[in-house]
Amino acid sequence: MRRGDGELILFWMLPGLIVLWMAVFWFFPGFVPPMSPTWSAERVAAFYRDPHNLAGIRYSLIVFNWFGIAIIPCLALIVTQIRRMAHHTPVLGYCFLGCLAGGPTLFFIADLFWLLAAFRPERNAELIQLFNDLAWVTFTSQVGFLIAQCVFLALSIYLDRGPRPVFRSWVAHFNLLIAAALAPAAFVALALTGPLAWDGALSFWLRNAAIGVWLLVMTFVLGSTIHRQRREEASPA
Amino acid sequence: MNSSGLSVSGMEARPSNLFARIAWHWRNDPKMELWIIWYSMVVFYFIFGIVFVGMTHVMPPPQPWWDPPRVVQWFNDHHRGILVGFGICFFIAGLVASCNAIIAYSMRRMSVSRVFAYSYLALYSLSAVPGMLLTAIALTVGAMRPDRDPALICWLYDFGFMAFDGTMGIFLIGTLVWMIAILIDKNGVFPKWFGYLNICNLITEFVIATAWILTRGAFSWNGLIAFWIDTAVFAIYTGVFITLLRNMVIREDFGTGPLPKLGASSGGGG
Repeated sequence: MRRGDGELILFWMLPGLIVLWMAVFWFFPGFVPPMSPTWSAERVAAFYRDPHNLAGIRYSLIVFNWFGIAIIPCLALIVTQIRRMAHHTPVLGYCFLGCLAGGPTLFFIADLFWLLAAFRPERNAELIQLFNDLAWVTFTSQVGFLIAQCVFLALSIYLDRGPRPVFRSWVAHFNLLIAAALAPAAFVALALTGPLAWDGALSFWLRNAAIGVWLLVMTFVLGSTIHRQRREEASPA
Repeated sequence: MNSSGLSVSGMEARPSNLFARIAWHWRNDPKMELWIIWYSMVVFYFIFGIVFVGMTHVMPPPQPWWDPPRVVQWFNDHHRGILVGFGICFFIAGLVASCNAIIAYSMRRMSVSRVFAYSYLALYSLSAVPGMLLTAIALTVGAMRPDRDPALICWLYDFGFMAFDGTMGIFLIGTLVWMIAILIDKNGVFPKWFGYLNICNLITEFVIATAWILTRGAFSWNGLIAFWIDTAVFAIYTGVFITLLRNMVIREDFGTGPLPKLGASSGGGG
């Protein structure tokens, strides 16, 4: 088995992961439409106590608990591509490696807070609201590692000065654009209404759309790159 | 931008204008990636200082023995600073990876096994989660609803400050790994005295443990021993390693043998 074959197996996890993430997004009752941060503790508790919502919350978040972290091997594929670039040191690969566990781990912590809110919905409404706040703030504001990941990847591409760069430069521009789209979500706690609030146009819709578009585009970019490298490996020019 | 150790033969002349010089380095300097990461580290610590000291008032910390109304008042007094400051902190959090990367790289440049760089990278890649981000999340949630039950706000206050001060193991073992690498390294990447300075930072991680037990006095989370002395050691240690890492980048010759002395480096250029 060639080296590229193993990478290809990991790569094909990525489309599966996208489907599962979209399913979680769709079936989690808190997302479509997103819960408002202006809800009172009683209303939040009632949301979790509704038997229809409760099942949807638990099942969708258990699926996310299983497969949220599955993005890590796919991000590691990007590290292998950075290592293939014509840099002078491995330091940019280390930067990306240093980011790739952080984002998914923080999503995982948000998942834990939501599941805890749903664990005993008969609990005091203020406590359910507290777990719900912790979940939403963690989920929405923790864009730092994702932003840095995009910026480090863009830098790696710009500094890849070999005769045949691994990625084209538009991939770098695209990653910087995604980093900019993710940035406002860091300031989610500043407002309970409007575009910055956790159900707002910037913090919810723009941020999540940016993550979705990034996943789709990078799947395409990685797929074509790995296939190309595998062909070259099979028939060295 | 420093260009020591850079072979300029066969390249365009280095311009004198600042922006043109930066552009020149971007195109020609083989150390560009190291400089960008070094500057990212400096920017990270600079913003970290502004956010934690100037904006959110997490450092120096408020009292661990306050009653709930006083804790609620603390959140109200710093409401805007906490929400804006931690927003900035969330935005730049990923820059912490540049600190870890350049320190891991220093170990790759040593004569030691790769296990040191890999251990450090793995240990520190999640250090910001309990040590900085959980603190920021807890205090942000505490500040965002001033009308929340004061008992719950107090719980968030304890959660925030103890995640910040009480995350010890990552920094303890990470410092230990770096220290061992420096002391056994034969390439002279760092002076040996810096290896021993790591012991001071390491000891602070033991001393801070008392903050988990005592809520009053010198050993509590804002005390003379557990906060002030530990923070002074951390600040000196950080200042020293930022300087020494800068020297490392200047001395870098992209070889595998002993790192040239400062001012004696020869052309590299990979």
